[in-house]
This record gives sequence, structure tokens and C-alpha cells, in this order.
Amino acid sequence: MKNELENLVALQDLDLMIKELKEVEQLGFEVKSEGSETLKKARKEMIAKIHKPLLGNYERLRKRYKRAIVPIKDDKCLGCFMKLPTYLLTHMKRDEQVITCEGCGRILYWLN
Amino acid sequence: MAISDLISFFREDLFFSDFKAKTKAAALNQLTEKFVDAGIVKNKELVAEMLQRRESIGSTGIGKGIAVPHGRTTAAPNLTIAFAKMGSGIDWDSMDGNPVHLIFLVIAPPFEENNLYLPVLGRLVELLSNESNRNQLNEVSSFEEFTEILTQ
Ligand SMILES: [Zn+2]
Repeated sequence: MKNELENLVALQDLDLMIKELKEVEQLGFEVKSEGSETLKKARKEMIAKIHKPLLGNYERLRKRYKRAIVPIKDDKCLGCFMKLPTYLLTHMKRDEQVITCEGCGRILYWLN
Repeated sequence: MAISDLISFFREDLFFSDFKAKTKAAALNQLTEKFVDAGIVKNKELVAEMLQRRESIGSTGIGKGIAVPHGRTTAAPNLTIAFAKMGSGIDWDSMDGNPVHLIFLVIAPPFEENNLYLPVLGRLVELLSNESNRNQLNEVSSFEEFTEILTQ
């Protein structure tokens, strides 16, 4: 079972795949004619697992910034490069809850 | 971007000249595990799921014994390609039906500064459409040789 943040990450990965399907096909890779439908169906199943307010926030962020979830690097949000407060970083390490950047509102993801 | 620029996305710790896997699913799983071992991704499940999903909508077997599985994932910090050569080929549902001996696994972050993901995939396809390149890659045994083939 994925936690909430992992569900969101899987959703963003799927959205990226949907977005570039045509380009990938143009490069010569096989994409079945029902490929796009298959992905859309997978998306429906995926969003059913995510709490409505969180999903709403994801969709809003996606419209605004293209990517809703961004990694943290050197204690900075890689969306707006704001240094994250220590309490947020320690909290994030402790449990993998969904945390947003205080600067830009994007959902944060700890890479390693 | 030139074909010779591709080499910067490969790493010696993700170069396998004697890779063994029984099935496509196993190969993808094992290679994703190698990305974890190399410290590139921490969440194997998310990456494996994305790769299996990509296969479900069309095989990444491009024919002539080669597969180029690929995808973007939020779980990756940068664009990285793993190379795996297998003595015994495995079924990849490829367009030409041939078993796969060479795998180029391309993992990319959601967005990169220079947006190289699609160009990299394109150059890889170009590199592998050349018969002489394919023959040399099928014989490669060290990362040094591999570098030479890509940059010649
Ligand atoms: Zn931010």
C-alpha cells in the first residue's frame, strides 16, 4: 500500500506519461492505439485513492506550475528555491506526510 | 545534441555486460533495483510501477534485439541511463518478435533544465538503428569499450 505522498507521486508520473505520449510515439516507439485510453483509465483508478482536497490542491498546482510535486535539494524547495525551515525538514523525515512549501505552495518530495 | 553526448548519462555502476534476467518484468525490476543500489532512486516500487505501465501501452522493444524502456518519475533527481547486455535473450513483445539482448533503461526526472529527455531517446534510437553500432554493442565487455563505441 502506498502512502498519500506516494499516491501523488505516482499520479504526477502518470500525468507526465500521458503528456508526452505523442512525442514518444513520434520517436519511433510503439504506443498502442488504445494506449491513451488505458492511461486515462489508470488515472481514474488512481485519483479515487487520493483525498479530494489533496487532489484539488494537486490539480491547482499543476495548472499553475506544470509540476505540482517538486524535490527538496540542499534543504531547498526546487520549485522556488526557498530554504525550508528546520522544523519542516525534521517533520518530513519523521513521517512521509504531504507537506507543501511555504514559499510557493508546491508539494514537497524528499529524493533520498 | 549529438550521439556522442549520450555517454554523459551512463554510469559505470549502471553498466552490466553480463546481465541475467528471465523475463521482461524481472529485468525491469532488477534494473530498477540497481538504480536504488546506485543511490539514484529511493522508491523502487514507484519507478517499477511507472515502467510496467509504460510497457502496458506498447512494448519498448524497438526490434533487432534491443529494448529502450523509459519514463519520467518524480522519484529521480536526474536523467540516467542503465545499460544491460544479456547472453540469452528474453521476450519483450518487440515489434519484430525477436528476443532482447540489449537493454537501455532511461529514467528521467519530471523536468530537467535543458529538457533533454526526448532528445536523448531520439539519439538512442538513432545510435541503435546503425547495424555496426549494434554489432559492437553486442560484443562490449567493459565500460571503457562502451564509451569508445558511443564516442567514436
Ligand atoms: Zn517552493
